[in-house]
Amino acid sequence: MSALAGRLGARLGRARWRALPIARRRQIMTPVLLAIGLAFPFLTGNAGNVDAAANAFTYVLLALGLNIVVGFAGLLDLGYAAFFAIGAYGYGIAASGQLKPAWSSLWAPLAWAGQVSRLVVPGQPDTVQFHVTFWPMLAVTAIVCAVFGMLFGAPTLRLRGDYLAIVTLGFGEIVPVVARNWEGLTNGAQGLGGIRTPTLLGYDFGFSPYPYYFLGLALVTAAVWISIRLQESRVGRAWMAIREDELAAGAMGVNHVHYKLLAFAMGAAVGGLAGTFYVAKLTTATPDMFTFPVSVMVLVMVVLGGLGSIRGVVVAALFVAFLQSVLLQDLTEYVHALGRLVGSDFLQRLELITSLELIFGLILVLMMIFRREGLWPAVRKVSALTREQQAAAPSRGSAVDLEWARPQTAGGPGRPLLQIEALRKSFGGVAAADEITLTVHAGELVSVIGPNGSGKTTLFNLITGLISPDSGSIRLEGHEIGGRPSHEIVTRGVARTFQNIRLFNNLSVMENLLVGEHSRLEAGVLGAILRPPRVRREEERAVERALQAVSMFGNRLLPRIDHPVYGLSYANRRRTEIARAIMTRPKLLLLDEPAAGMNPAETLELMDLIHGFRGLGITIILIEHKLDVVMDVSDRVVVLDHGVKIAEGAPAQVRSDERVIEAYLGRRRRAA
Amino acid sequence: MRAPGEVLLDFRDVHTHYGALHVLKGVSYQIREGEIVSLLGGNASGKSTTMKTVLGLVRPSEGTVGFRGEPIHGLRTSEIVKRGIAPVPEGRRVFPRMTILENLEMGRYTRRAEPGWDAELDRVFGLFPLLKERRHQLAGTMSGGEQQMLAIGRALMTRPTLLCMDEPSMGLAPRLVEEVFDIIRAINEQGTTIFVIEQNVNMALSIAHRGYVLQMGEVVLTGAAAELLENPLIQKAYLGSG
Amino acid sequence: MSGLDVVLQQVVNGLALGMMYALLALGFTMVYGIIELINFSHFSVFMTGTFVGLTVLNLMGVTAVSRSLTGLALVATLVVLFAATMATTGLLGVAIERICLRPLRNVSGTAPMITTIGVAFILINVMLLTWGPQAQRFPSLLPNWRWPLLGTAEITFKQVVLFVVGMVLMVILSHLVKRTTLGKAMRATAQDPDAARMMGIDVDRVVVLTFFLGSALAGAGSLFFGLYYGFTGYYVGYTTGLRAFTSAVLGGIGSIPGAVLGGLFIGLVQSLGGQLLGVKWTDVMIFSILIIVMVLRPSGLLGVRAPQKA
Repeated sequence: MSALAGRLGARLGRARWRALPIARRRQIMTPVLLAIGLAFPFLTGNAGNVDAAANAFTYVLLALGLNIVVGFAGLLDLGYAAFFAIGAYGYGIAASGQLKPAWSSLWAPLAWAGQVSRLVVPGQPDTVQFHVTFWPMLAVTAIVCAVFGMLFGAPTLRLRGDYLAIVTLGFGEIVPVVARNWEGLTNGAQGLGGIRTPTLLGYDFGFSPYPYYFLGLALVTAAVWISIRLQESRVGRAWMAIREDELAAGAMGVNHVHYKLLAFAMGAAVGGLAGTFYVAKLTTATPDMFTFPVSVMVLVMVVLGGLGSIRGVVVAALFVAFLQSVLLQDLTEYVHALGRLVGSDFLQRLELITSLELIFGLILVLMMIFRREGLWPAVRKVSALTREQQAAAPSRGSAVDLEWARPQTAGGPGRPLLQIEALRKSFGGVAAADEITLTVHAGELVSVIGPNGSGKTTLFNLITGLISPDSGSIRLEGHEIGGRPSHEIVTRGVARTFQNIRLFNNLSVMENLLVGEHSRLEAGVLGAILRPPRVRREEERAVERALQAVSMFGNRLLPRIDHPVYGLSYANRRRTEIARAIMTRPKLLLLDEPAAGMNPAETLELMDLIHGFRGLGITIILIEHKLDVVMDVSDRVVVLDHGVKIAEGAPAQVRSDERVIEAYLGRRRRAA
Repeated sequence: MRAPGEVLLDFRDVHTHYGALHVLKGVSYQIREGEIVSLLGGNASGKSTTMKTVLGLVRPSEGTVGFRGEPIHGLRTSEIVKRGIAPVPEGRRVFPRMTILENLEMGRYTRRAEPGWDAELDRVFGLFPLLKERRHQLAGTMSGGEQQMLAIGRALMTRPTLLCMDEPSMGLAPRLVEEVFDIIRAINEQGTTIFVIEQNVNMALSIAHRGYVLQMGEVVLTGAAAELLENPLIQKAYLGSG
Repeated sequence: MSGLDVVLQQVVNGLALGMMYALLALGFTMVYGIIELINFSHFSVFMTGTFVGLTVLNLMGVTAVSRSLTGLALVATLVVLFAATMATTGLLGVAIERICLRPLRNVSGTAPMITTIGVAFILINVMLLTWGPQAQRFPSLLPNWRWPLLGTAEITFKQVVLFVVGMVLMVILSHLVKRTTLGKAMRATAQDPDAARMMGIDVDRVVVLTFFLGSALAGAGSLFFGLYYGFTGYYVGYTTGLRAFTSAVLGGIGSIPGAVLGGLFIGLVQSLGGQLLGVKWTDVMIFSILIIVMVLRPSGLLGVRAPQKA
């Protein structure tokens, strides 16, 4: 009886835990975890454990830093140890006796500030002795590493994933080699020694592990907090959008160059921070501490925990630290004992610690083959649909309430919004767009039709900046947009959907929509982390608008708003894409085959929606093959064939145009 | 017109899906020996998926595909090609950094163990004298029309029973399109059964014996080519209701 | 003219080294050409090859302290050594493909590459655990004959043998890839795998074959290393590997002649650069070349595929 009650209680507990919203769960867990963290040194009573834990915090910091680069932004960095090294050597050089430049009055202010001293040696010129304070160096090395990250990233981040990885590996290799060989700066292979330990209010940290433990705990807590804040902000969403589909992210207004550099710089800064902390504790820095296997170890932590999963990465980092400092030693004892038992010489001599890298290799291979998302992937609270919601008859909404989506355009309807002139684009000698000239007026709905391969999607790609024209111009409200990057064109008020639906697959409907708002929001990194009232209001309004946008489709999408989009039906994915495009508040909306794959009822609903958009004043260009739809909604129809505009005019007129019929059906044969 | 022989390809009640998208919705057609059959349709009709299903690149979720009485819908592409079906893919897909001769050699890969390919080469060069002239030229440097010739020649190297052509007119100037279709007819007269998937209705029906029209994944029209050509419903299927 | 003979010596050394890098780069570039995968484990296969070679020689009774061989005995030993080692490394490559890479064939992104890093680490550590961390002496099979060239510059018998063997292997590979039907099928698959499938080519088999050939070439390169330097260790795959990788990228990834050209060039850079700037800076030089090539001209010298943004 009591066993049954126990099990029931456990099950109730878990269910109730799961039912709590994430914010609430966090509110409960945070003080609990902090309490454990603070109490640990006193609970364990063993200074060795505290020392190991303090070292482990370094690993956690590194893992969190790499998580930003690889987990959030999807950029594989195989040379992360380089930033670890720069942070370490940065502080190390500034806080040890390594550099001894000649004294000059330039150093006087620093001496006054207590950062350097004048070393007087009789019979020799005076030199400067460095003993920079630890605390400002935390910030300084973080900034220096961020700068290095950006310098390195600027030319390289446009490379494709695996190539970027190799280049970062190269960088990660150069740094320890330089450290080993530039003996004047780094004391070569011997490494730096005698690095000053931090002092706080007169108390010198010295060699006791306890102050480092608490400092490490503070740093880790800060890093976790910053990571969580970033993840749930406009910045984090931009990163994840880039990770999921860089092209679509650009089409939603995300400047991928900017954000990739940002991710790289932030990851570098955290790595530098970890380096400074680690070296202050160790009071020594050698090149061997920063080699490729170290970069791989950090990668292992992130892969094991789960790319992008903050809690996963922290746990995995602690585990790897534990593995390295405690577990393998203990296991080795057992293996030795076993060896003595069975009389195996090999087992008796085996030191498992040397097989650490073997374990790393196995982890990488096994995780990639069997569990790519990590052991403890990021929490995604997905509310299952209730019975009623599942059984509910689909209801329709409309677009009339989306007043915030009404574009502010100068001048009234009717004047030219988009002017395309003599637009040309060729691929391999074949013209996909051949001297196209077209004007779209504000408030119009123009449909572009034509047989396969006629250049319709190419036209959209040219307008939205995915490709650049060879010649000719595209002007939006008088501004030239031909050849501009897509995120810039989005800010000017052009949005699109894609023929084969490009959503951010692992993000939820809500998150997809919020990325759509990216260009209309303003929060930057600082705003994301600190979340002042202005940013909070901005986010709330964005969520409100997203909910309204989703209500366009009645009850179809709304109950699924937190679901990851890869699980949605085809029609719902299409709806999400359209809603996401509306979130950018476009003046001009380009829809590429929105009715593809929809049944007649869904198609009708779509047409209603399009009417609704027009009611809001949005100008629409539509590519569609369902010609009934086209004839019904369009003001004008443009027909393309082999990249050439062969007809233009009112729907009925175009449909009976001989050239159009011939384009679709083909020319009749001359000979029978 | 020769009387058509036995049923060579039997596409029966096939459904395919692309993720959540239902592409082919119960499509059926038959191709008899000696015929030219054309499968027509506009964009998003599903016609390319049909070809891919025949070749084993797409697996049907329901329905069967039979060749000479044997089911082929679960087999690998190499197996299907060995049984006598040769593809001329959409967009030609010649191997750009290999010569014409090497491309032709790849065409007969499934028969590579058999000695001698002079007979097949002669046939191809007979149909396409240009290929013989330029046989050491890299395929990637040829024009679209020339690549189309090569793609057809390559498919003929296995002496196939059934030639499957996916949109042979795509991207070609009208004059070339006529040439290509003339050659298709010539090949058929030499004894090869041909299955042409096309968007260009008039051209395709001018050489085919029979046709099927696909719309949104379903067969909406079928019949003898001459009748289909005059059928006003074709225009409706392509350009929407009048 | 004492400068010229120093330069000439470095050129000779560089070309011999370059042969080794070329062999290693070839295998790597072939795999990339066919499945667009950066195969890290290739270089650990190379390192494993040195130990395989060591084992083969020991089994044949040739150890570090035996005297060098000549004539028929030398040729026979070399043939057996190369054949056995290349076969073993070839099979190792096939095993890696089968077990670790094929399940990931359709996964996009960097997961497959990460897996190869894992495999590399596993191999390195297995060798470390088996043979220990200290360097192992590799038997110097070849007699130490040398012939003067100009001034102090000379060329050794070792270098001649390596050069000849390398050329022979490359000629065989070239013939295989250009003349045989199977080789053409490999090229076709690299250029258009879907079209290759439609020709009836078994793409999976072709991939396996490519891995076998590439890894076998790595095995040959590993013997070059052992015979030339006279030692090996669990760590040798790493630097040599990254240099070979740079060679492949420089020559144009996916291009077979590019790999050879790149390898020879890097070999020259290593020896001439080492002479000029000091040996300890060669790593930095070569990695810098890698980064510069990737940033400025990712398709390399002869490359066909420019790795653009995904």
